[in-house]
Amino acid sequence: MGALAAAIAIGLAALGAGLGNGMIVSKTVEGIARQPELRGPLQGTMFIGVALVEAIPIIAAVIAFMAIFQ
Amino acid sequence: MMSNFDSMVTRQRKWMLYWLAILVLCAGFLPYTRIFLGLILGSSISLYNLWLLQYKSEKLGETISAGRKSRSGLGTFSRMAAAVLAVVIAMRFEEYFHLYAVIIGIVSSYLIMMIDFIVYQITMRNQKED
Repeated sequence: MGALAAAIAIGLAALGAGLGNGMIVSKTVEGIARQPELRGPLQGTMFIGVALVEAIPIIAAVIAFMAIFQ
Repeated sequence: MMSNFDSMVTRQRKWMLYWLAILVLCAGFLPYTRIFLGLILGSSISLYNLWLLQYKSEKLGETISAGRKSRSGLGTFSRMAAAVLAVVIAMRFEEYFHLYAVIIGIVSSYLIMMIDFIVYQITMRNQKED
């Protein structure tokens, strides 16, 4: 059961992170390509967004690992 | 003049290093050595994660503004692997590291990022009003 729990946890977390990161990065790439002089602020916003999106899957990976070796 | 992103990167690294220094002092002088060692392990991995994310976003921005096609991602998998490595170390050497402290340590860079962002926004708003 531990392996199943780990698989579900990491799978859903990866799905969410993939969708979220994809949206953030695609919009940033569009923005920088359109206005390269706005690179600084756009990069900063992307950085904060990616960090927020990624915090949860990283914790999910840790929890999945703990569930396997319980 | 430093750009917005560069100054943010420097501030976050500075706060992270201050946090690690405080933890080392606490581990040396306070009785809860196991908890503080766990926090140090988690925060070191967290500092690596922060550095990697900053490096990769900088590289991505550079590549796009130069008009080239980006070949590397943002390093999500490396960061997950680093976090799992910290937990593996904590589970293997359970007598030295407190597992929950390691997990709190891993999250610390995200907390620092958020607090720094909020403080920066408030300071900028106050400066505009003055």
